[in-house]
Amino acid sequence: MANPHTNQPAHVKHYFVSSEQQFDAAKMGMWLFLVTEILLFSGMFVAYTIYRSWHPETWMALSTALDWKLGGLNTLVLLASSFTVAMGINQIQRGNQKGLLLNLILTFVFAGVFLVVKYFEYSAKIEHGLLPGAAFDPHGISHGFDYATYNVPYGPQFFSIYFVMTGIHGFHVLVGMGLFAWITWKAKNGAFSAEYYTPVENCGLYWHLVDIIWIFLFPLLYLI
Amino acid sequence: MSQDHGHHIIPVKMLYAVIGVLVFLTVLTVALAQVELGVFEVPVALAIALTKAGFVVMIFMALKWDNRVNASILAVGALCVLIFISFILIDTEFRGDLSNTTEGTIMDQQRVEQAMEGREPERSDISFNRQ
Repeated sequence: MANPHTNQPAHVKHYFVSSEQQFDAAKMGMWLFLVTEILLFSGMFVAYTIYRSWHPETWMALSTALDWKLGGLNTLVLLASSFTVAMGINQIQRGNQKGLLLNLILTFVFAGVFLVVKYFEYSAKIEHGLLPGAAFDPHGISHGFDYATYNVPYGPQFFSIYFVMTGIHGFHVLVGMGLFAWITWKAKNGAFSAEYYTPVENCGLYWHLVDIIWIFLFPLLYLI
Repeated sequence: MSQDHGHHIIPVKMLYAVIGVLVFLTVLTVALAQVELGVFEVPVALAIALTKAGFVVMIFMALKWDNRVNASILAVGALCVLIFISFILIDTEFRGDLSNTTEGTIMDQQRVEQAMEGREPERSDISFNRQ
């Protein structure tokens, strides 16, 4: 499968010296993109910092409105998906296409589980009026607990920040599922090998970043 | 250079060890949230989250064995975040303390204020004025 003009493997574009150079260039581009993602989320973390530092009592009161069990479960699910991505890359580096395929499917499933859990969390919040801004109206009784006690000053701001941060993170998970569906399909058709697995590497880097964002969101929103 | 002979393959054993550490740190941060830590609550939670992120970046994202240029790109991003958060905290935590632009130091002013308070007559001594 070599290019007859350059004596390079078929996946190497003519403007690269080698497969290695092409891989490094793609990966560096991915890291640059990840930094823009970090900056996107840092704006929201700054908003979080301002409101938390001015109204710590609101943050402490309303972090209990979020279910740490579901949040913790989702943390473990995302950690597991990061692990399967790393395992998949390990497998394809050894030339094991089936091992890669299995790990990519597992990653896709874990991402789906994350969104299903998030769906149940959001439904409970919407049902009891724990909503952002003007829509904030805690009401209803569940398991003997009166949600009206969550009606504290600056509660609307807390839930604005909660929904924007977890919403944009959830959107990234959705995009990640699309990416993993795409590379899983490619992997099934045998597109990747120990010599060429750049899309797997870069989608993996993206996925790890989505995991890292959640590593910070979980304690900051659910626990403290 | 080793890179010319293919990429660094992270041993499966190490991947298992890292996921073990990450799960342990998740359990630890949940457990510590149930304990009353006072002012250390946020720093402890952030320290654990940073440690977890460090393991993901270094091992899962393989930055430890990667081209150094990628590490410096990440470092620039992290530096920006640090600047954003720390400058915001300087504002939110110390607003008012820093906007004092009158002559003399804050300690000078406090000394004058205390001297003035010392000269303030008792309320009962000036009550005849009100009648």
